[in-house]
Amino acid sequence: MTDPADPPPVERANAHAIDAADLGVRYSLRFTKKSTLRNSVGQLFSRQAPEPFWALRHVSFNVVRGESLAVIGPNGAGKSTLLQVLAGILIPSEGSVAVRGHVSSLLTLGAGFDQELTGRENILLAGAFLGLDDPIVRELLPTIVEFADLGPFIDAPIRTYSSGMRARLGFAIATSVDPDILLLDEVLATGDATFRSKSKQRVIELVKAAKGIVLVTHDMTWVTEYCNRAILLERGKLIIEGDPAEVVAVHQERSARAKAEREAALGAAAPAAGR
Amino acid sequence: MSTTNEAPAAFRHAANRPGPIHAIREAIGDISSRQRLVRYLVAADIRKKGANTLLGNLWWIMDPLLQMGVYVVFVSLILNVDTPDYPLFILAAILPWKWFTSSISDAVTSVVSQERLIKQIQFPKLVLPVASTMAGVVGFVFGLIPLAAIMLLYSGRISAFLLLIPVIAVVQFVFTLGLSILVSAVNVFFRDLGNVLRHVLRLWFYLSPALYGMAQLDASNTFQANPWLRFAAHANPFAVLFESYRSVIYGTPEGLPHAPDWIALLVLFGASVLLLAVATFIFKRLEPLYATVL
Repeated sequence: MTDPADPPPVERANAHAIDAADLGVRYSLRFTKKSTLRNSVGQLFSRQAPEPFWALRHVSFNVVRGESLAVIGPNGAGKSTLLQVLAGILIPSEGSVAVRGHVSSLLTLGAGFDQELTGRENILLAGAFLGLDDPIVRELLPTIVEFADLGPFIDAPIRTYSSGMRARLGFAIATSVDPDILLLDEVLATGDATFRSKSKQRVIELVKAAKGIVLVTHDMTWVTEYCNRAILLERGKLIIEGDPAEVVAVHQERSARAKAEREAALGAAAPAAGR
Repeated sequence: MSTTNEAPAAFRHAANRPGPIHAIREAIGDISSRQRLVRYLVAADIRKKGANTLLGNLWWIMDPLLQMGVYVVFVSLILNVDTPDYPLFILAAILPWKWFTSSISDAVTSVVSQERLIKQIQFPKLVLPVASTMAGVVGFVFGLIPLAAIMLLYSGRISAFLLLIPVIAVVQFVFTLGLSILVSAVNVFFRDLGNVLRHVLRLWFYLSPALYGMAQLDASNTFQANPWLRFAAHANPFAVLFESYRSVIYGTPEGLPHAPDWIALLVLFGASVLLLAVATFIFKRLEPLYATVL
C-alpha cells in the first residue's frame, strides 16, 4: 500500500461533469433473466408482486471536470450498475442523473464485439455504435490499431482473438475516442504487464487532459495513487465519499470486519470444520 | 477538444415516460441520426450470411428456385393440380414470403442477440430491428434474378406491369418493418416468441393464397356459405400482397398480367403505417427496460 503520493490538483470551481442526486435503480424481478411465457404468465396471476430489488438507492455525488473518481466496494455493491446509469444505459427509477459531455463506456471491455468481423471492422462498428462521425473514426483508426498492437490479427475475425487481445482492442477504442467522460470498469487488470503499464499511462494522460473519469476497480494502489476522490458503495448504498486514502482505509477495515464476522459465523455453525 | 458526434453531448435522466407522439418523433430521430450504423449493421449481416457456406451469397438465388421446385413437384405432380405456368404462379408468392420470413426471424433475435452491447453502450436500440429488416430487402432484390430467369421461360407473360413490383414491395416493407419492431421488443420479455413464431409463420403461409389462388378459395363451397370466413381470408395482409404480386408477375391462369387491386393495397398500406407507429411506440416505451431484463 502506497501513500496518496501526489494526486493531480483539481480546480473545484469547474462545472460538474456529472451530477447524481438521490439516485435509485430498481430491478423488477418480474421480468428479469430470460423469463419464458410459462413463468411470466404464472407471475401475472400470482397475488403478491415480486419483491423489488434496489441495486442502488439514495446515492448522491458529483464529478468535477478533470477529476478521476474511483468507485470501490465489495462484489454486488452496485458499482457496475452505477456505471451503467452514468453511461445512460440504465434509466434511474428514482432521483436523477445529469451528465455533461460525451461519454465513452466500453464497460466490460470487448464483450460487445461482433465475433465474425475483423478487428478493424469492429473498430468502425464500435465507432458507429458510439455515434462518432465516420471521418473521425477513420482518422483515429491508425492510432487505435497501433495502441492495441495486435499485429496481423487486426484483420482477422475477433473469434480468433484471445481474451487479452480482445480487452486490448476494447481499451484502445474506449480511450481513443476523445471522450469528455470516460467510464472504466475493471479494466486496469487486463492484458500482460507491458500493456498494463501502457494503459495506466493512457489513463493518466486522459486525467491530465482534464477529462472526467469514473473508474471501478479493486486495485487499491491505483485508487490511492491516481484518483482524486473515491466513493465506497455497499449493497447499493453510498457509505463514504472523500479522499481516496481515507475511503480505501474505511473499505479495508469494513471488509476485514465483514470477513471476520463471516468466519465467526462459519466457525459457530461448523466448529468441527478444518478452518 | 470538441468532436462532431451523432450521440447526444449531454443527457439528463430521470424516471419519466414519453407519450406516443414524442416517442415516435424520437424514434425517427434515432434512425435518421444513426444511418451509418444501420448501414454498417446491414453490411455486416449480409457478409456474415454469405461467409459460412461454400456457395455464399449464391444461395440467395438458388434458394427460391429450389423451393419452387419442391412445390411444383408436390402440387402439380402429386396433387395433380393443373394451373398453367405453375412455377411462375408460385414463384410470385415464394419470393415475397422468403423476404418476409427471413426478416421476421432475424428481427426476433436482433435485440436479444446484442445483449452484451446493450449493457455497455447507450445507443438507440431501434437500429437493430430496422437493420435486420433492411438486410432482408437485399435478399429479396437478389431473388429477382431467378424471377427474371423464370420469366424468360414464360416470356408470354412479360409485361410493363412488372414495373409495379417495387410499389407492392414498399407496402410489404412497411408491414414487415412494423411487425419486426414489435416482435424484437416482445422477444426481450418472452423468449418463447421465436419458437411460437416459427409455427405461426408456417400456418400463415398455408392459409395465404400462395400455392393456390384467391379465386379458387372464393369459388369453394365453404367460402360461398360463410361470408365471414371469406372476409377474414381477404383481410389477410398476405392475401393482398400475394394477389398483388401475382397480378403483375403472372396474371391469372387464363389471362395476362394486370394492375393490382389498388384499393386493397392502399388499405393495407394505411394499416401497415398504423402498425409501424404502434410498434415503434411500444418499442420505445419498453426500451429503458432492455438493459435491466437482458
